[in-house]
Amino acid sequence: MHVVIVGCGRSGAALAARLDSEGEAVHVIDVDGATRARLPVSFRGGFVAGDAMRRAVLEEAHIAQADAFVSLSSSDSLNIVAARVARDTFRVPHVLGRLHNVEWHPISAHLGLQMVTTVQMTVDRIHLLLQHRPLDPEMVFGNGESLLVRSSVPDYLAGRRVAEFNVEGEIQVVEIGRGGHSTIPGTAATLREGDLVSFVVSSGSLERLRNFLGGSWKQ
Amino acid sequence: MRVIVAGGGVVGAQIARALVASDHQVIVIENESARAAILKAEGLEIVTGNASVATSLEAAGALRADVLVACTERDSENLVISVMAKRHLEIPRVVARINDDANRWLFDGSWGVDAAISSAGALVALVEQTGN
Repeated sequence: MHVVIVGCGRSGAALAARLDSEGEAVHVIDVDGATRARLPVSFRGGFVAGDAMRRAVLEEAHIAQADAFVSLSSSDSLNIVAARVARDTFRVPHVLGRLHNVEWHPISAHLGLQMVTTVQMTVDRIHLLLQHRPLDPEMVFGNGESLLVRSSVPDYLAGRRVAEFNVEGEIQVVEIGRGGHSTIPGTAATLREGDLVSFVVSSGSLERLRNFLGGSWKQ
Repeated sequence: MRVIVAGGGVVGAQIARALVASDHQVIVIENESARAAILKAEGLEIVTGNASVATSLEAAGALRADVLVACTERDSENLVISVMAKRHLEIPRVVARINDDANRWLFDGSWGVDAAISSAGALVALVEQTGN
């Protein structure tokens, strides 16, 4: 995969280093050539010092061949412009960007751009961790709207079918770990005591799932 | 005409003054409160806020504006403001300032820009006219 990253700040450099270590072809663009020093010595990708709004700079980073484009500069408006240019002018199939200020979110959404809003994400995540300590999410999707949580099956729930846990649009059993093996269960599968079950749950329904697992079904 | 000037820097303020002088109704949107205060003291009508945000534009009367001038000192902001003004708020005419002539290729209809000008580009045009 060839990835173009705009911005060699903390996030841009860290993402570039990780993708590079995973064997991806990475090109980083930053208007300040000195930021190249943030990349590890082992970095094999390219670095272009220049303004990401310039066609020549984008082309030097081989944007036309890019499979993905990520705009992580410190300027929200530049991230919006660069992301849209990557998608619409250079037809990059997968385009992402970052926004610091949520005020820019409506216009980026209007343009159909997929942007990560850092402040919103931090607040949602911290709020979640504050509110729901016992059932820590393993993974957070989007801006925290959907979560992956894992829980062992307590004895009083043994024998229940997967269908009894699934609530459309709220809770979905996606995986069961049993005796060191993982399976993707059908709705008719039966849970056993000690099973480690993965749920995808909407953040608003985490409390409901917790009640399920925490004994409100206890008879 | 009802004109919104997005960006109250040196250029934006001059545009606003000139338009007011020719009897247009002008509102300036400026993000920096210190700058906004100076322009307000001068008698210009000001909305303090981020011009690419619908609420700031609406506060400036975008829904009944005839023209928007995007003239901040950042080209990327001018583009985002222009596309917002044209696509989202349907302001009939959007004109934009190009700070860096290398960015000219972006200032077109896809960003909602009807006309764009850079001071460098304008001077070059004058030089070339003289040559003819």
